[in-house]
Amino acid sequence: MTIRSPAAAVAWEFRHRHRWGLMAIAALLCVLSVIKLVVLVRGFPVDFDSAERFAIVVVVPISSTFTYFLAVFTYGLEGDLAARQSMYPARMFTRPVPTAALAWWPMLYGTAAVVILWMATRLLALWPSFIHVPTIWPGILAVVLLAWTQALTWMPYGLPGLRVIVVMACLTVIDTIVLLAIHFDASESFMAAFLLPQIPLAWLVARSAVARARCGDVPDWRGSFTWLARLGGVSRSRAHFRSPASAQAWFEWRRNGWSLPGWVAILLPVELLLLWVADTSTTLVVTILLGACFTPVIMATFGAVTVSTASGTGSASYSLSPFIAARPLTNAQLIAAKLKMTVWSTALAWLLVIVAIPLALARSGEMPLVIDRSRRFAEAVGTPRAVVFLLLVVAGFVASTWKQLVQSLYIGLTGREWLIKGSVFVMLAVLFCLGPIAVWIVETRRVGVVWNALPAILAVLVGIKMVAAAWVATRVYRGRLVRDRTLVIGAASWCIVVLVLYALLGWLVSGPLIPRYFFLLLAILAIPLARVSAAPLALAWNRHR
Amino acid sequence: MSESVISVTELTRRFGATTALASVSLSMPRGAVYGLVGANGAGKTTLIRHILGLLRAESGSVRVFGLDPVADPVGVLSRIGYLSEENDLPGWMRVDELMRYTRAFYSAWDDAYAEELRQTFALDPAATIKNLSKGQKARAGLLIALAHRPELLVLDEPSSGLDPIVRRDILGAVIRTIADEGRTVLFSSHLLGEVEEVADHVTMIHQGTIALSAPLDDIKKSHGGKSLDEIFVALVGMPAADSSLRSE
Repeated sequence: MTIRSPAAAVAWEFRHRHRWGLMAIAALLCVLSVIKLVVLVRGFPVDFDSAERFAIVVVVPISSTFTYFLAVFTYGLEGDLAARQSMYPARMFTRPVPTAALAWWPMLYGTAAVVILWMATRLLALWPSFIHVPTIWPGILAVVLLAWTQALTWMPYGLPGLRVIVVMACLTVIDTIVLLAIHFDASESFMAAFLLPQIPLAWLVARSAVARARCGDVPDWRGSFTWLARLGGVSRSRAHFRSPASAQAWFEWRRNGWSLPGWVAILLPVELLLLWVADTSTTLVVTILLGACFTPVIMATFGAVTVSTASGTGSASYSLSPFIAARPLTNAQLIAAKLKMTVWSTALAWLLVIVAIPLALARSGEMPLVIDRSRRFAEAVGTPRAVVFLLLVVAGFVASTWKQLVQSLYIGLTGREWLIKGSVFVMLAVLFCLGPIAVWIVETRRVGVVWNALPAILAVLVGIKMVAAAWVATRVYRGRLVRDRTLVIGAASWCIVVLVLYALLGWLVSGPLIPRYFFLLLAILAIPLARVSAAPLALAWNRHR
Repeated sequence: MSESVISVTELTRRFGATTALASVSLSMPRGAVYGLVGANGAGKTTLIRHILGLLRAESGSVRVFGLDPVADPVGVLSRIGYLSEENDLPGWMRVDELMRYTRAFYSAWDDAYAEELRQTFALDPAATIKNLSKGQKARAGLLIALAHRPELLVLDEPSSGLDPIVRRDILGAVIRTIADEGRTVLFSSHLLGEVEEVADHVTMIHQGTIALSAPLDDIKKSHGGKSLDEIFVALVGMPAADSSLRSE
């Protein structure tokens, strides 16, 4: 195929690099159109009026697609979001193309993509329903959000991490104004008048950002903040590492350790600020607190992507870099360093949550309400149970955060692009199917059937988990990837944690309705085993290809 | 010159339909400088990656210090200094952090020697790796490969990163010092002139097979004193490097 112009070359690159993602989106749109054309035309009674069903069928897949477009057209999948340098790929700067073209072609293609997405959503994904969806301005909003994200991610910044804060702040301001406009029933023309002028403005900012990046104009404000680094103990340490393992743990910490606490530190204050408007609404206070507690867990899901990256030196490659692969460390030691880093990262993130929540409750005046509700709960179930319940909930959140960080190691560390991308696709497909299945179960009144079958379902899952764990343990043992002692201690520790959790659950929820073995199955499924144990196998497969 | 540091027997490796190495056998005794030469894509890096245990032998065997580098990576890698062709040092590290980090892995790390190398290579300890030039990055890589005085130094295409001054004035001297101390150097390059200056023994690799492997003096003697470039062309029918590279 002959590519005849720079514009066509840029388009070809987007199409070729993201062909699998684009094909998946095309498949999604085809499914939606088939549902609309076949099911609705034939008159099947399909009811999509409830907000939940609307969210499952339309909002989740379409907003996921929009997020994917944001990542693609900002070149976000190949850049470093936290770096000072522009995220616009430096390889493009040497092409004999005017700067405006460099900036505007990706913006134009991005605009076209989100406009097509909105049109397809409007035509194919929206069924006749009582939910009113405006015709034009959501499409313009998508274009505006994309344009500003492109402009602000391509801008060079004076401090590492500043890009994240600026982008988040800008998009939050736009979203807030739009939400307020919706709340006050603003007309379509008003929304268009507010949004449309932002498009050329964002395009001009983007052109300026690319022009600065192209001539290597990166401001450096770090000198003004050296006192802060000294204050935080980040100043140069001359002490030698005690062992290779501690050096590798330091490496992992410096590479990924700060990400999760950093994200939590940015998001938590914004969430907890809502306590000041919660007044005496118990529901709102509980929702805000739950949101704050889920923040590390959700952020850990994103953090896991970089934690499980094999390359280790920031290169775009999926395979292990020679720098890391040639370290005189066993595969188990390399994994141990990652696990140690994730434990510290989780602990620091939760330290922030545990300190921030009481502070915010005290300062916002919501503390008496929380104490009162806690006292009532303790009176209802007994103080020891209430305390154990609270500790178990906190431990559950902390463990879930850590689990999110490490459970994809066994995929990411393989360094196989097809496996990594395939697993993401499978996971999204499963998530996409879960909602409709749940709706079907509720609609067809099969909740009782599922409840009765739950022990059997859990038993099957436990069986799969134990078979997988046995297979992994055998491979790890035969490959001499970890010492026998480590294998035995790991298995024994896992058994102890499962038994403790089982005992606590059994004591906490005593009653004839739920059989004891149910708790044992839950405890076995809750504590990570097979996937974490498979990490050394994955790394060995990558390191010794 | 008795015990083999590297012993490769009937090593074959394929990547899809391409055979990168075909029944390669090689033995490298201790205490000499080995030049591994060949055109780009000849199989030099693939062979080196097998020696480091980064590739698993599909057939045949690889032994380094008598150990299997895949089964015992710590035993092998702790005695090797390696400068990668890819120059993939972590960009976020400072030079002093890189030295401190690497020091932890090698019990024989020599602080005084590391500092001497840093000064010789004119590397600012506070400089961040990603802000270094390509040549400076290669010097930093060479520093951490040398500072623990490895029994085996593996340099994979160092010429592609190091600037001409370092190559001419420093690299040769360093390599000779290592060999004089009874340690071994494996030096891969497609710039035959450079290999000719420092190598005791030359192995020519072409399309995954060993075209020639012998002491440099013997090769020259048997080819009437011709240069390695001329011998390479005579053997494989093409130069190892294009003219632009040779003129560097």
